[in-house]
Amino acid sequence: MNFSGSILLVDDEAHIRKFISLLLRHLGVTRIFEAQNGSIALEVYKKEQPDLVMLDVNMPVMDGIETLRALKEINPDCVVVMLTSLANRQTIDEAVALGAANYIRKDAAPEEIGRALSSTIDDCFAPDEPEGGGTPADT
Amino acid sequence: MDDPLTNPSIDLKGRRILAVDDDRINLRIIGGILRNEGYEIAEAASGEQALEVYATFQPNLVLLDVMMPGIDGFATCRTLKKNYGDKCAPVIFVTAKSEADDVVMGFDAGGVDYLTKPFRPKEVVARIRTHLSNQQLVEQQKDLVQQLSKANAAKDRFLGMCAHDLRNPLSSIRGLAELMDENAIGELTPEQREIIQTIHGASQSMLQLVNELLDVATIEAGHLKLEKVPTSIVEIVERSVHLSNIEAAKKNTKIEMVTGGMDPIVDVDRNKIRQVVDNLINNAVKYSPRGSIVTVLIHSHGAVAGFAVRDSGPGIPESERHKLFKDYGRLSTLPTGGEKSTGLGLAICRKIVEAHNGTIGVDNIPGRGAEFIVSLPLHK
Repeated sequence: MNFSGSILLVDDEAHIRKFISLLLRHLGVTRIFEAQNGSIALEVYKKEQPDLVMLDVNMPVMDGIETLRALKEINPDCVVVMLTSLANRQTIDEAVALGAANYIRKDAAPEEIGRALSSTIDDCFAPDEPEGGGTPADT
Repeated sequence: MDDPLTNPSIDLKGRRILAVDDDRINLRIIGGILRNEGYEIAEAASGEQALEVYATFQPNLVLLDVMMPGIDGFATCRTLKKNYGDKCAPVIFVTAKSEADDVVMGFDAGGVDYLTKPFRPKEVVARIRTHLSNQQLVEQQKDLVQQLSKANAAKDRFLGMCAHDLRNPLSSIRGLAELMDENAIGELTPEQREIIQTIHGASQSMLQLVNELLDVATIEAGHLKLEKVPTSIVEIVERSVHLSNIEAAKKNTKIEMVTGGMDPIVDVDRNKIRQVVDNLINNAVKYSPRGSIVTVLIHSHGAVAGFAVRDSGPGIPESERHKLFKDYGRLSTLPTGGEKSTGLGLAICRKIVEAHNGTIGVDNIPGRGAEFIVSLPLHK
């Protein structure tokens, strides 16, 4: 995957964060931040300003839709990919209406998740505008 | 729990009977016969009084004289039926022999039976016992149906919840194993690779089972929502054939589509019908010998169109055909490449197809193999 930016991964389940972050590293993403709920995610977002956010829908404290709304207030252009466990049409439509770039089912096979993420990155980050930069640091 | 299904014996002692007659002697005679049987009796001397007593006594059965001053037996019965509806106790009319023609009117008024005066005690006892038993059985059955539907709803909720909470961790286990197998955390030794592949395989088949359980629970709970759009069957089948061919190649099996120049359009939920096509094709590959050919034929005839999946497996044993589309209906036939089966796939297919007002069936092809045929209403 051709992406040198950073990704903030938000999910309340540690095993999902482990799985997705390993997948991201395997795909060549080196700067990955993690948060286990929406309000921590907002803090990390403000501090680290990641290029892309992968955001779980169902979370305690502050759910994905609420977090998405808050992220868009901080930065209307921020690229957010929703992570869902069941394809709930209504939630997905709501997220898209709020400006989510895409959604990915986290029960999909790694290859499929990788494919969906690549296509979002291709759509959102034009090739003549190199994103991110800096020295990659392992998380 | 008092289980009426396993304990159908009926004890009628203490059941309440309201006897209504303007003739005191008749009341005394009937009261004597019934108290002797262990029933609890309340008496009323007129229709008006009967309505009052009924409200407080809440009888299980009413014995109602037809000829009474004031409102007569028929009118009393109609009022009771109007006031209490389905919950009204059965009413038995009491008439003189010469009034036998009134019996028909009594049934019209909502009575269940009649007794003629003068009473024959054995007849009175037998008829009353029959109606009380019937009534009790109806009550028990209502209770039972209610209990069962509650239990069934609880089962569906439980199943859905379990499947949900199992699914995410399982997909993480599968995903992590797959990534390790791809050397995401470094090169593995042959033994480590074998172990990681075992974990991957086991979590994969558990995930499939959980997904199928979730499908069943969703469908059973009536939450199967169809988003129907006009769809080309050929397009759906083509995509499934293409994707399944990748997996089938491992068994050297080839899947082909035969359209016969047809391209029928049906109103379906694409994802759901895709699931049916995938499932039938996967089954065909699963049960066909290595190196065989699976054919998917498009059909369109009159107001229906669909597809048929033809395999070259052993066919469906006639004696097991009835199990085929039922939940957990696994047959004695085994997959030819050691694949797993949950026995839920075809049950889900049937439920999806039927939700589209379509049909699914199977025929054995003379010679060898089985043909699963799905037919759906054509787009109007």
